[in-house]
Amino acid sequence: MMAIIKERIPTPERLIEERLQGFMEVNLGYTFELALQEAQRCLQCNPAPCIQGCPVHIDIPGFIKKLRENKEDPKKAVKEALEVIWACNTLPAITGRVCPQEDQCEAPCVMGKVGEPINIGKLERFVADYAREQGIDEELLQEIIPKIEKKKEKVAIIGAGPAGLTCAAELAKDGYQVTIFEALHKPGGVLVYGIPEFRLPNDTIEKELEKLKKLGVEMKTDYIVGRTVTLDELLENYDAVFIGTGAGTPKLPSLPGINLNGIYSANEFLTRVNLMKAYAFPEYDTPIKIGKKVIVIGAGNTAMDAARTARRLGAEVVIAYRRGKEDITARIEEVEHAKEEGVTFEFFLSPMEFIGDENGRVKAVKFMKMKALEERDSKGKRKIVPTGDTTVLEADTVVIAIGKTTSKLLRMTMAKIEADEYGVIKVDEKLMTNIPGVFAGGDAIRGEATVILAMGDGRKAAKSIKEYLEKKANNT
Amino acid sequence: MYEILEKKEIAAKNVMYKIHAPHIAKKVQPGQFVVVRAFENGERVPLTPVTWNRKEGWITLVVFSRGKTTLRMNMELKEGDKILNIAGPLGNPAPMKRFGKILAIGMITGIVEVYPIAKAWQELGNEVITLHIVPEPMILLREELENAVSRHIVESFPLKEGMGMPEIFKELVTRGQAKVKELIEVEKPDLIFMVGPAGGQKAIFDVVKEYGVPMEVDLHPIMVDGTGMCGACRVTIGGEVKFACVDGPSFDAYEVNWEELIARSGFYTDLEKRAMEDYLAKLAQGGVQ
Ligand SMILES: Cc1cc2nc3c(=O)[nH]c(=O)nc-3n(C[C@H](O)[C@H](O)[C@H](O)COP(=O)(O)OP(=O)(O)OC[C@H]3O[C@@H](n4cnc5c(N)ncnc54)[C@H](O)[C@@H]3O)c2cc1C
Ligand SMILES: Cc1cc2nc3c(=O)[nH]c(=O)nc-3n(C[C@H](O)[C@H](O)[C@H](O)COP(=O)(O)OP(=O)(O)OC[C@H]3O[C@@H](n4cnc5c(N)ncnc54)[C@H](O)[C@@H]3O)c2cc1C
Ligand code: SF4
Ligand code: FES
Repeated sequence: MMAIIKERIPTPERLIEERLQGFMEVNLGYTFELALQEAQRCLQCNPAPCIQGCPVHIDIPGFIKKLRENKEDPKKAVKEALEVIWACNTLPAITGRVCPQEDQCEAPCVMGKVGEPINIGKLERFVADYAREQGIDEELLQEIIPKIEKKKEKVAIIGAGPAGLTCAAELAKDGYQVTIFEALHKPGGVLVYGIPEFRLPNDTIEKELEKLKKLGVEMKTDYIVGRTVTLDELLENYDAVFIGTGAGTPKLPSLPGINLNGIYSANEFLTRVNLMKAYAFPEYDTPIKIGKKVIVIGAGNTAMDAARTARRLGAEVVIAYRRGKEDITARIEEVEHAKEEGVTFEFFLSPMEFIGDENGRVKAVKFMKMKALEERDSKGKRKIVPTGDTTVLEADTVVIAIGKTTSKLLRMTMAKIEADEYGVIKVDEKLMTNIPGVFAGGDAIRGEATVILAMGDGRKAAKSIKEYLEKKANNT
Repeated sequence: MYEILEKKEIAAKNVMYKIHAPHIAKKVQPGQFVVVRAFENGERVPLTPVTWNRKEGWITLVVFSRGKTTLRMNMELKEGDKILNIAGPLGNPAPMKRFGKILAIGMITGIVEVYPIAKAWQELGNEVITLHIVPEPMILLREELENAVSRHIVESFPLKEGMGMPEIFKELVTRGQAKVKELIEVEKPDLIFMVGPAGGQKAIFDVVKEYGVPMEVDLHPIMVDGTGMCGACRVTIGGEVKFACVDGPSFDAYEVNWEELIARSGFYTDLEKRAMEDYLAKLAQGGVQ
């Protein structure tokens, strides 16, 4: 028996100076040798608590074992590991990069009790990346595709975010004819317009999308369901529908000065940079305007992404959060990266007013200073109350990253779908809405969640759709 | 991909495109718009279908060479070329009601958006008078409007040597205001509707409000996605923040916070100028074909 290695094997990262020069991915991932060393640390627990920690229950010790078992033959090792992952998750290159592993699979990891938990996220990412580089995923796909029995039923998927893409992949693997309708010109949802390339490169997403196309999924971009085509029309032409429209509308506080120039919603700010490549203006036509001092309001993943993006565009960046450090909701890795990249944090500041100059451009933000009580709210966070003291911070750009709500367009154009007052779609335990044959998942039913939860919903909905269609076929 | 079936310059700086887009042609209503991304490195720009044929599956757009993107479209796109992306129809259709007598005003290219709405209103039994406030070389859709509504008026002026944008704008406003005043007094419209640059809309509204005539305006804040996702297009209407792309584009002129809209529309002016200069320099070097 080998001695237990308590510390995780670190993944190489790009140098900080180099990171700030552009949008290249920061984490460089494991090599096979490093991945193997990390895999050796796994205790192969049975039952394995990591599996329970994963929202889609990937057989984590299982895929880690495959890596170790075949260490003489990296290709074989990765292929078998990938097979295990694909059983639950078709987009590991994405989840391996963006899941909050520290709160999920890695949280209960037994190794965490004696040292550092296994770096499950980076191992998952390694398997996905290596498979892609070596064409292993392609091989696996070519083995799967001929076995697919084509079915005649057609399913429409609304929205090409992680929920919709996963649902589409699962149904296509079962032989259904799947068409995705996506409002934007590029599929991916938040993965392409929100999450920056330094965390999730666009070509990683594109490669994952190619897999879907190979599985026979048809993708219609520039299609706004509710406008270009109605839900009723989809119901006439498809046997089932999945709604994965996300939570696309930014929340903006109703405070004086919110519409001053220079105040961006995180969605607009990130969309201009990620989807429209405003960082390459004027080579790309979409501009972005950022001054020297940027304040980002909020402390979730979105706030970190906006802050780090602003650093790369050359600004000084302060994150202002109304709660304390311990309540930051972003992934730890992103918070660490943000700090390394020179983003500073101000806690217990709640915005009161945006102050503009004579041209209608923001020049400062007035904040109420908050303090935390011992008492905790329903989410386990300490309650905060105003102290009565205020402070003013200068800024020529402000990015609001305090969350999103479901798309209004959906509520306006699909009134028949039952939703709560915020437009969050109501579903039963099978993820079916009040309309038979119409299912929903991801942020559209959760308000705001995570990539893996959206993918989990996509999978679950695919299963329900299958059952629904089989039942329908048997009844006729 | 959306094929350009026909392209022609219909007035100075204004190019008409007939584009194959069957699913949009099938759905579009007067008052709605589309978002066009013509090139791989292009911007997403909102434009308005002017005419369409649901059976043949095409729409027409009229594009005014305003800044880099629109100039580039007008310079580089040819008949037979394909436009990468057109999403739509977006926004809410104009309300189709009997208002009575309507004065529908278009400033410069704004008239192309007035056209489908005015035509539909006339067909519904309203008496529609259209007014086009425009420099002479940019007069467009004259015949179409004359055929579509009760009366079409063009308030135009020749462009003089050395007239820059500020002078042209001043002339548009002065003439527009005088003409609108006259029309309100003589015609006593029940509703005024206007499309044009925010500054021009505000100037006309200043006249209209003195008479208290109801006024609707289609607003043109800067947009990115056009689907309610980014919040770029936010405007304050009656003290409330609205997204023009999903709540509009049409709003009650009396409720609009004009100062804010005008300030927001001009936010990128310096960058837009830079992009234009960069593009013109490349053109001069033969950098684009
Ligand atoms: C900046 C940012 C960073 C984040 N970072 C992380 C992270 O690190 N880890 C993590 O787990 N989660 C993260 N999240 C959250 C995560 O991205 C979301 O929970 C997830 O993307 C939800 O997936 P979805 O498929 O439900 O919706 P979305 O990803 O929102 O996709 C919805 C898609 O539907 C399309 N659509 C909407 N309406 C229509 C319509 N009417 N017709 C056609 N198409 C339509 C949209 O254009 C979009 O492409 C982040 C979110 C943001 C904004
Ligand atoms: C609902 C709607 C319908 C429209 N219909 C038409 C039409 O039928 N024909 C037509 O020629 N124009 C129309 N426009 C205006 C057109 O979108 C702008 O002229 C175009 O985006 C300018 O782009 P540019 O890059 O050439 O100019 P830029 O140099 O980038 O900008 C010049 C000015 O155009 C405006 N503008 C710039 N980008 C945008 C944007 N993304 N969205 C809105 N305004 C912008 C700003 O006021 C800016 O100062 C419409 C706009 C809206 C919002
Ligand atoms: S809990 Fe940790 S050590 Fe145990 S199997 Fe899972 S990853 Fe391995
Ligand atoms: S253009 Fe993005 S919300 Fe209206």
